[in-house]
Amino acid sequence: MNIVYLILIGMVSGVISAMGMGGGTVLILVLGFASELDQVAIQGINLLYFLPIAVFSIICHIKNKNIEIKTASSVIPFGLIGAIIGATIANFLLNGMYLKKIFGVFVLLVGLYTLLSDINWSFLKNPNSPAK
Amino acid sequence: MKNLKNAVVGIVTGFINGLFGAGGGLILVPSLTKISKLPQKKAMATSLAVILPLSILSVIIYTTKSSINWQILIPVVVGGLIGTPIGVYLLKIISSKILAKLFAVFMIVSAIRLIFF
Repeated sequence: MNIVYLILIGMVSGVISAMGMGGGTVLILVLGFASELDQVAIQGINLLYFLPIAVFSIICHIKNKNIEIKTASSVIPFGLIGAIIGATIANFLLNGMYLKKIFGVFVLLVGLYTLLSDINWSFLKNPNSPAK
Repeated sequence: MKNLKNAVVGIVTGFINGLFGAGGGLILVPSLTKISKLPQKKAMATSLAVILPLSILSVIIYTTKSSINWQILIPVVVGGLIGTPIGVYLLKIISSKILAKLFAVFMIVSAIRLIFF
C-alpha cells in the first residue's frame, strides 16, 4: 500500500483518538477495507500503533495530574485477566473471518450507542410537549 | 461493591481490547465517568493508563503466532504522531458532539459492510 496513504490513515486515526472517539476502531476498519491483511494482523498493528502514542499522552497527563492512580491500579489486574482471555480467543480460537464479523457487531453497537446517546427522548413519552 | 464493579469493568475492558485489538477505551471511559464519577478528561487519561499495560500483554500474545508488519506499522505511527496534536487542538476549538454523531454514522455503515459483505 502507498506510504502517503498509510500516513494519512494514521493521521485521521490520531485525530479521532485524541478527540476520544475511538481512533483504533477507525484504523482497524480502514486497514481492513484497504489492505489484504487478515483481521488479527490488523488488530496487532493497531495495538502496536497505540503504544508510543499512549506513552506520549500518559506523560503529558501525569504532568497535568489527570490520571487517577488509585482507580487505574484497582482496574488493571482485572483488565490483564480479560486481555489474556480476549487475545487468546482472537489469536488461537477464532477464524479471521468470524473475528471480522464479531468486530462488525461490536462497531455497530458502539455506533448506535454514540448516535442515540444524549438525545432528548422525552417528546416520545408526551406527544403534546414540544421537543427541545 | 466498588471493588466488584472495578473487577467487572476491568475484565470486560481487557477482554474487548484483547479480542479486537481496540475498543477498550470505548468501554472504560464511559464506565469511569458513570461508575467512578470521574470528569471526562480524567476518565480519558486514566483509561489510557489502564489500557497501556493491557495492550502490551495482548501484543505479546498476538506475536506468538504472527510477526509484525513493519512496512505498514511505521508510516501509520508517523501519521498518528502528526494527527494526535491536531486532534488535541481541534478539541479546543470545535464541538466534538456533532463530529461524534457523524463518526457514529461512519461506524454503522462500516459495520454493516463488515457483517454482511
